[in-house]
Amino acid sequence: MSDALRADDLSADVRAALRRQIVTLADSKRILGLRYSDWLLGAPSIETGIAASSMAQDEWGHARLLYAMLKDFGEDPSAAEHERSRQEYANVSVLDESFSDWAGFVMAMTVVDGALALALEGLAEGRYEPARSRIPKMLGEEEFHRDMGLAWLRTLGGGAQEARDRLRQAGDWALPRTLAWLAPDDERYGLLVDAGLAASPETLLGRFRDRYGPTMTSIDVEVPEPAAQGWDPARGRSAGAPDEEVVSRARGDLNRALMVD
Amino acid sequence: MRESVFDVFARKERGEPLTHIGYVDAMDAELARVYAWTTYDEQNWFEMCIVPRTHIIPVNRNDGPFAGNAVTTPSGAAQHRDVGASLEEEGA
Repeated sequence: MSDALRADDLSADVRAALRRQIVTLADSKRILGLRYSDWLLGAPSIETGIAASSMAQDEWGHARLLYAMLKDFGEDPSAAEHERSRQEYANVSVLDESFSDWAGFVMAMTVVDGALALALEGLAEGRYEPARSRIPKMLGEEEFHRDMGLAWLRTLGGGAQEARDRLRQAGDWALPRTLAWLAPDDERYGLLVDAGLAASPETLLGRFRDRYGPTMTSIDVEVPEPAAQGWDPARGRSAGAPDEEVVSRARGDLNRALMVD
Repeated sequence: MRESVFDVFARKERGEPLTHIGYVDAMDAELARVYAWTTYDEQNWFEMCIVPRTHIIPVNRNDGPFAGNAVTTPSGAAQHRDVGASLEEEGA
């Protein structure tokens, strides 16, 4: 399209804001894939474990494609994927922690994965050409994640009292910070919106409520206002960082040590 | 919630016949869709469908996995049986 932009077309501050958005999406998908993979053998059924495996592969694939967008910024994507410290990881902060139980998995599959899909949609609708061309395939794969998340929410929400209690606890854990990540209330994200590169925070929050609000209401989980815990504008996420063990896995340290140049 | 069996059918190309490729256990059709897609992902399927096993009606046999769904015919060719009971017999 004639209004499409590449990184070289952007001013330095808008370019930095776009890079932040790409990295936080890529890091979130990389870590989410790891969190999914932790449940391959602990899911409630074989079919569910296989689905978790498939979703993990989807997330890793999406992360790889997103890191590759950094080539447009004149960077080597390999450095972003394999050479950063845990303090530099920009994943949605709730993914710093592993899922406490299956209710945590289900809530993350809905809330975190859903927020990532909405942020991707917002980017694909904007003027950045690589996002327009690469994100739609990811969103097609994400439809199955969304269907599975909502189906499991309804299943647990219609189950025993303990299941409903755990879902509510998982909602309290996942929702406030994830919504703050989805709809950043800061200057850098505002630059992206003003440049026509991303959907506004209000639009994204509205879409989240439209998409997930009715199911959340039906299971007595309230969709709260966004609430960051110590916003870090450099990374576009709440304060904190994933631990070294998960970042080592995200970087692939052990496997890369076996590689010979 | 009790799981049911859903049979999975797929075709690789437009115009090819749908082929039975397997089954999944799921609590409802919504989850069965996802499980079918993620379990039988060895091909880039053109089309995939699922059918609740309780909806598959045998035509010429009254044994096998669909025997429990046999309908009573005027000729008495097949005998109706309780669908839920047949699923339990299969260990579904």
